Amino acid sequence: MRTNWASATAIALLLSLSTSAAHAEEVTAWRLFISDHADPKVTVIDAVDGGKLDTFQIKGPASLHRSESGRTVFAVQGSAGVVTGIASGISFEDHGEHGDIDVEAPKLAGVEIAGEKPSHFVDHDGDFAVFFDGEGVARIISEKAVLEGKSDFRELKTDAPQHGVAVAYGSHVLLSEPNREKPDELPVGIRVADKAGAQVGGIHACPDLHGEASSGNILAFACATGLLVVTHGDGSPAIRHLPYSDSLPDGKTTTLIGGRGLQYFLGNYGADKVVLIDPTIESDAFRLISLPTRRVHFAVDPVRAKFAYVFTEDGQLHQLDVVKGEIASSLKLTGPYSMDGHWNDPRPRIAVAGDRIVVTDPLQGVLHLVDATSFQKTGDIAVEGKPFNIVSVGGSGQTHEGE
Amino acid sequence: MSRTLKLAAVIGAMTSLPITPSVAAAENLKVVASFSIIADFAKNVGGDRVDIITLVGPNGDAHVYEPKPADAATVGSADVVLVNGLQFEGFLQRLVEASATKAPVVELTKGGEVLRNTGEEGHHDQDKAAEGGEGHAAAEEGHEEGHHHHGESDPHAWQSVHNAELYVKNIADAFCAADAAGCDTYRANAESYGQQLDALEAEIKAAVAEIPEDKRTIITSHDAYGYFEHEYGIKFLAPEGVSTESEASASDVAALIKQIRQDKASAIFVENVTNPRLIEQIASETGLKVGGELYSDALSDKNGPAATYLEMMRHNITTIKGAILGS
Ligand SMILES: [Zn+2]
Repeated sequence: MRTNWASATAIALLLSLSTSAAHAEEVTAWRLFISDHADPKVTVIDAVDGGKLDTFQIKGPASLHRSESGRTVFAVQGSAGVVTGIASGISFEDHGEHGDIDVEAPKLAGVEIAGEKPSHFVDHDGDFAVFFDGEGVARIISEKAVLEGKSDFRELKTDAPQHGVAVAYGSHVLLSEPNREKPDELPVGIRVADKAGAQVGGIHACPDLHGEASSGNILAFACATGLLVVTHGDGSPAIRHLPYSDSLPDGKTTTLIGGRGLQYFLGNYGADKVVLIDPTIESDAFRLISLPTRRVHFAVDPVRAKFAYVFTEDGQLHQLDVVKGEIASSLKLTGPYSMDGHWNDPRPRIAVAGDRIVVTDPLQGVLHLVDATSFQKTGDIAVEGKPFNIVSVGGSGQTHEGE
Repeated sequence: MSRTLKLAAVIGAMTSLPITPSVAAAENLKVVASFSIIADFAKNVGGDRVDIITLVGPNGDAHVYEPKPADAATVGSADVVLVNGLQFEGFLQRLVEASATKAPVVELTKGGEVLRNTGEEGHHDQDKAAEGGEGHAAAEEGHEEGHHHHGESDPHAWQSVHNAELYVKNIADAFCAADAAGCDTYRANAESYGQQLDALEAEIKAAVAEIPEDKRTIITSHDAYGYFEHEYGIKFLAPEGVSTESEASASDVAALIKQIRQDKASAIFVENVTNPRLIEQIASETGLKVGGELYSDALSDKNGPAATYLEMMRHNITTIKGAILGS
């Protein structure tokens, strides 16, 4: 009896093993991390059912950044002088024949990096660089360290305080070069430092440097004169300057985002235009797109590579077809949000969570949900306070019982 | 499945319209080839009835190519899209989606014998596909579109001339489906190019026969020559797997160096699509001299030694034979 029972179990086990792929559960999880314009908090919302998962108290109002892997969200609190790491709770593991998703509660990672006026945050291949404008110092920490709750950062100093940026680029670090004559103005170029912090080569000129993004294997900085385009060179980063084309009107890019799925960059260019950039082609690298009114925020769609989204001050969300280089659809979502006033006044921000585009409406205290396929509004989620910056993390994968 | 359906739909449209569509008669077939080797086959089959745009050009590495919005526009306006398949073009799915193309996307390895990468362990995919529903920048498609499976199948089927004939046949079929009026021309072109391929294959076999059997182990940078090995009996070892996407680890390289010493490799080569540094390092550690440059996943530019598939295969076997016999 006992033997039979045991062998029956063994057979059942074998069967379940051989069909494990079919029995594994496909799970979709998306989370929204939202900061408040006035209050020191980050609210986490389950984007699938709209429920609130948690609220984290931090030290000051924050701008939010997610890592490339989506495992970490960073709250950069410029006025409070601290950067706080949050573990998103969602991670993926690739097993070749399938991808596993692991979903846990989001939590403060236990990592805080303090310093004067933290501003730009850049993740490059799992190394995070935060620039502290008040000190002219970059502090670099790996995602691995953050997720282990270790504040193991290294520090690189530039010559002066500046509204700067740093990128941990493999075994090198790219650092903005302060404007010595006019210390209040934007940086003037990029310096490359090796592992030991020693400068490699000269300064790569980039007047009024502001804005950085990656798309695939290309990294770019926006300058008053064009872009600095960074690729992996032989042993050290290869950097070239791509000037704005003569056909563009006077202007410059100061905010840059990178395409995902397709390799391109999208930047602002004048208050009521955006520019699509393909830095790999010689002519027609820049395609200018006019907007009906001034631009508030823009974001790329990481799932539907063909689209990016732009929000304008008349309360409209625009679906930008980056292949055709034109606005494909527009959707009125909010009341007017004038671009008059301070750059950091509460205005909508965009994030894409799977099949949903989410737009914050800080003055109404809601998130608007737009179906990314139909480009129609499907609902909203109330959020206390003034929901402002937003990032999303998530995706689909398999979970296995007993793991 | 959808490809077959699309192709069937095109054929259906053709047969229900006995009169040749004016489009095909009036202007050339707009063909997009994913990379340079396919473009060369297509040129040989299509002749002056087709205009070909190549996405990944000479010396380009299609494994890691990142498609641009302009590529999506190109694919969107194509009549026929020719690809290798077997996950050689890691960018294909997101490009085709972004393009919203109505053209048939024809996998030229369809119907052929597929080799599995039986390669040494250690060529694990790096954990790059683990990307929450979002393409890893331009490098990976996300979980939203179904999981991206890193293929274990070896996509470099063109490295056997025998398979090249299959590519050519599939191209002729695709062109006939899209342009029935030109079908006789395509078949005739394919036939005469096939004769050149037969002659090429005989040359390769004759060259290999001149290499002593105990000297037929050589090194390249990535596992691009499985079909060549299978067909012609030269053993290729490489530090990188069937895709150049994941770099060789230090232990992969150490294992390879050990294997080179055991198997007494006769020669080592750099490849046109990969950085030569790793091969140079292995060469210096094993005392092998770099025997030249082989063309693996792309042709040379038109002034180079491998501007066409025929030239590429001749260049490769000549270089291999020269290095081994000269060593
Ligand atoms: Zn290859």
